[in-house]
Amino acid sequence: MSGRDAAITKPVPVPDELTAPFWDAANRGVLAIQHCTACERYVHPPEAVCPDCQASELAFREVSGRARVYTHTVVRDNVTQGFAADEPYVIGIIELVEQERLVLVANVVGVAPEDVRIGMPLRVTFERLTDEIALPQFTPDEGD
Amino acid sequence: MASELSGRAAIVGLGYSKLERRSPRPLAHFAREAAEAAVADAGLTIDDIDGLGTIPNIAAYGNTGDLEGIDIVTVPNMVRMLGREHGIRWHVQTPGLCPDTIMAAAAAVASGACTYALVWRAVNVPKGRYSDFSMAQARGEHQFRAPYGFTMPAAWQSVALRKYMHDHGSTREDMAAFVVQNRENTQLNPKAYWCGTPLTVEDYLEAPMVADPFCLYDCDIPVDGCVAVLLASAERARDLRQPPAYITGYAQTTWPTRGGFTDSENMWEGGAAMGEKLWESAGLGPADIDVAMLYDGFSIFLYVWLEALRFVGRGEAASYIASGATALDGELPLNTSGCSLGEGRLHGMAQISEAVLQVTGRAEARQIKGATHAVATVGAGTLASGGLIFSREARA
Ligand SMILES: [Zn+2]
Repeated sequence: MSGRDAAITKPVPVPDELTAPFWDAANRGVLAIQHCTACERYVHPPEAVCPDCQASELAFREVSGRARVYTHTVVRDNVTQGFAADEPYVIGIIELVEQERLVLVANVVGVAPEDVRIGMPLRVTFERLTDEIALPQFTPDEGD
Repeated sequence: MASELSGRAAIVGLGYSKLERRSPRPLAHFAREAAEAAVADAGLTIDDIDGLGTIPNIAAYGNTGDLEGIDIVTVPNMVRMLGREHGIRWHVQTPGLCPDTIMAAAAAVASGACTYALVWRAVNVPKGRYSDFSMAQARGEHQFRAPYGFTMPAAWQSVALRKYMHDHGSTREDMAAFVVQNRENTQLNPKAYWCGTPLTVEDYLEAPMVADPFCLYDCDIPVDGCVAVLLASAERARDLRQPPAYITGYAQTTWPTRGGFTDSENMWEGGAAMGEKLWESAGLGPADIDVAMLYDGFSIFLYVWLEALRFVGRGEAASYIASGATALDGELPLNTSGCSLGEGRLHGMAQISEAVLQVTGRAEARQIKGATHAVATVGAGTLASGGLIFSREARA
């Protein structure tokens, strides 16, 4: 059965040997990022070998969920299935506060697309897709 | 110290198919048209060809097809179309981008593995929505992008332009200056898809947004077409019909796209690392280059390559272009044929072919007087990117 035949849903992540701890944590409402026990640097997306020091001992560590907009785009004419109702939507490259250039992709939600700015403080939130998968998303952090 | 391969192989023939959009003709016909044109350009016949190389993958992301002869044209298909089952001594298929294949072919002719190697890149306009991603599941590298609607190459690169504009204070007007200048160059290139269609700054600024801040004209123009080049050793090259374009420098990137096009700094870092290898391989530097063909699948790549190859400092590309320095009469004429944005999305072959034409004095109305060394880069600095330097003489 192809995706075209199924109901039109957003693509759902399929965890694998490297990424399962990330998605397991997200499903519990926790943002956990792979972390090298040798050089103490975070790695995302998960890797088999640390790209910074080539060590192979990597574990997942819970992070604060605080971040800022590294850069972003606004999509008004999407080509990903299941996104038509969301247009226009913001794709953020999100830099976590734990480490410079530790970035992940997420939608920036709870703010008008035209109000998103590079450097804007964000915090993580979770969007439930299925019983097993919740997507980390980011929303403006008005705290502090 | 230049590489031992520097100057030992050359491009001796160049062939284009017609460039169309959504043509009813199968892609295989475009490929054969380009292959035959390249061989004839060198004054040879099909029976002289004993080496073949191509990039057999589609040039798009998502659910596009990979039907032989329609979406891709592989080596076995070309062998049959040319009737060379008994004559081919060497062939290669490299997924990725054309510099990898051209470098492999250069090594093959320089070493004697074959005498004349034909390299082609055939690309089509995929059917349906461009970069359509219609999969219910996101596996592997897709799992951190597709669930967020981040599946369009234009979107992947648009975030780099926004960051550049923020970090370096450039504007959409600055990019308009480049795109309009590029379209002016395109008007001097009869092969180009956009030849005959001028573009103004207003057209650029008012164009529909694809992925803000990218508009339609920040993206290359997909075409159905094929470009083929013929390679020979430097010794053979001297006796053929056209002046040779000697390959004096080459480099491949070793930079992965960590995070899958999320941190655009990787493009500059990967491009710079590749650039240093490129200059070293030729024993040349940016000041030696007379004309540059830098990859422009998306407009932001011009900024990446101008800076990564050290033509200008970090953050200076936008103002350098706006100053007129990269116009046909400027100090560094850039993408003189219009390349991917103007000629068509040929995945780097527009860069290769125009660099060849410039150093061999065959660029007609676009010819830069005395062009001795031309650089061509393909890719985003990461992944399968590569660069080549073409020179009028074998010894740089
Ligand atoms: Zn490490």
